[in-house]
Amino acid sequence: MSDEERDLCCCEYYDLTNNRNHILACLCNCTDLDEAVDSFLKGQTIAEENKTRFQNTMRDRLRIPWIGGARQVAFDSVLPLMILPLMLLTASLSLWWTVFSFSTVGMFLLLIFNFFIKTIPRTKFFFVWTITSIILLYFIFEFVVIPFLKILIEENVILSVLIFAFIMCLYLTKSRADQLTSLSESESDLILNGKNIEGFYSCKICDHRIPDKDHHCVWFDCCITNHNQCSFLLSLIFAILALLYSSNLTLTSVCHPFEFAKSILLPDDCSEVYYQFELGLSFVSAIYSILVAILLWLVLMQQIMLVSLGIPLRDWNKLSFTSKLCLGLNTNRPHNKGIINNWSKILCQTSPKYTVLHRDV
Amino acid sequence: MLLKCVQLLCVTAIIVAVYFPTRHARHYDYIAIENALKEVVLQSPFSSRRDLKSCTYEDVILNSQPVPMDNITGQQDFIPPLPGGEFKPFDCIPLIKTALVIPYRNRIEQLNIFVNYMHQFLQRQNIHYRIIVVEQNDTLPFNRAKMLNFGAKLAMDLNYSCLILHDVDLIPLATGNLYGCLSKPRHMSSSLDTFRYNLPYLTLFGGAIAILSDQFKDVNGMSNSFYGWGGEDDDFYQRLKIHHLLPCRFDPNLSKYTMLVHRKQPKNSNRFKNLKNSLENSYDGLKTLSRKYSVFSEDLFTRIVSS
Repeated sequence: MSDEERDLCCCEYYDLTNNRNHILACLCNCTDLDEAVDSFLKGQTIAEENKTRFQNTMRDRLRIPWIGGARQVAFDSVLPLMILPLMLLTASLSLWWTVFSFSTVGMFLLLIFNFFIKTIPRTKFFFVWTITSIILLYFIFEFVVIPFLKILIEENVILSVLIFAFIMCLYLTKSRADQLTSLSESESDLILNGKNIEGFYSCKICDHRIPDKDHHCVWFDCCITNHNQCSFLLSLIFAILALLYSSNLTLTSVCHPFEFAKSILLPDDCSEVYYQFELGLSFVSAIYSILVAILLWLVLMQQIMLVSLGIPLRDWNKLSFTSKLCLGLNTNRPHNKGIINNWSKILCQTSPKYTVLHRDV
Repeated sequence: MLLKCVQLLCVTAIIVAVYFPTRHARHYDYIAIENALKEVVLQSPFSSRRDLKSCTYEDVILNSQPVPMDNITGQQDFIPPLPGGEFKPFDCIPLIKTALVIPYRNRIEQLNIFVNYMHQFLQRQNIHYRIIVVEQNDTLPFNRAKMLNFGAKLAMDLNYSCLILHDVDLIPLATGNLYGCLSKPRHMSSSLDTFRYNLPYLTLFGGAIAILSDQFKDVNGMSNSFYGWGGEDDDFYQRLKIHHLLPCRFDPNLSKYTMLVHRKQPKNSNRFKNLKNSLENSYDGLKTLSRKYSVFSEDLFTRIVSS
């Protein structure tokens, strides 16, 4: 059997020159790097094509083993897989490390946000961040907090149900958004005609025209429109509930708890969590959960306010500061049909009705 | 088809592994508040004073009140006990004679809080009691079980029929948690705040336990070979199991305790090894206890200093 005919093993792949290559050989045969170092040592300038070829090779060789051949992964997508565990591990060292690593990562996200949106708009960085957070937090809860033997089985089941509900809503949001993108593809001839169809808005990140777009959510990696806003809001609510519940369970396990109003357990003294690694890790994961829950709550409040006002988020962002202060009431709100109609539109309109409508155009 | 079966099996295995009951805190069988008094072992009234009636304990259990957390460290009202921390009710003949044995080393603030609180707490239960504090006076790691053996031995010499082996950092939070013995050993601290008021595992038998002196003698007390934190209570549970003395518990509302905060002690890395040998070591216990200890009578408690 010739070399070409044999199937790829999980660590092999066809590289840029269409030759079989192996993941373990990723540091071998770096002609461009050799040449660059060579010219650098000789005091010559490094050729531009050398640089780009080196970057291409690097991008090509960054792969993960997969059935039927190693798959290429984008560098920006694997970044959260490194940042998040590192953040939680360093944060569990001491209080100062917690403050330091959380604030560093926060700053990093703020800086990188605009950079990614501008340079690599279709990056999976934020979506991978979401997924990594879910998996990490769940694993820490199940395999670090639960073994403290302080949590009842029904509490664990309730949390799992909340997480499951969140993931289902997230899936629904994304699949409805995908429906819309495929819909706009089928309508592409109409769009290409240059006619400005009412209700369609182009999304730079999805690279599609999306009907009734509210905004693009990078963390879910999909557009939020009238058709999936309901499941988006539900997923926010379930995410907030799951995060708060898990952080409460974790904090009452690792800290000293007290009974509030004779029914709810709340933590009151967390001074000893950094003495033991497991306690520290659980504690910082709970803090991370709370921070994320606060951010999601702010997003949820903004969404509820804007839906009630009948302003899509894309319009809201264009408003001036003073009109934001007036809640946009002083501006023209073409989409506002009254608070009840606004909400019923979002709660009922789950599938787009554009295909039929535009066939007549 | 085969692939689907394998997937299904994997998912089931993961779900079973994640929700396996022993990975969680447990619900447990308990004696309801109404039935609690029936289980308590009462001794026949014995007193030189004929005019007194026997004490009753129904009100104590049935009218249990939760203790506010703020009351624990504050000033406690109690009648000064006899020297050695012994107290008998004045207005009735007690039917319960309990020795409270406290293993102790180097936690003077906790001991002060505990002793003051317990005198106030126990005097409202109409029982005859004595607080015995057993102090370890060497540089070896703390040997809780050995200290308990010393205390239990003294209590038995003083003819106390009920032993309560109690950690110094545990404070009972329900006034109805009667400090007496049942016909079976009782695990008293089953609803501890640092465990989120849950029970970590069903065979837990540490913290605060009540056991009849005769039963403690029958099982040859606790093992003397557990130095450092942990293991001795599980070993004791095994001893009780061999003698068919499986412990019981009161209603969680009666069994509420709070733990005074303290630094965690280094865990005994041999604790599992010792536990494995527990069956062979059943001779080690009360019978092999050394006689090197001295007893002092203080205002609020009896102090045993051992080495």
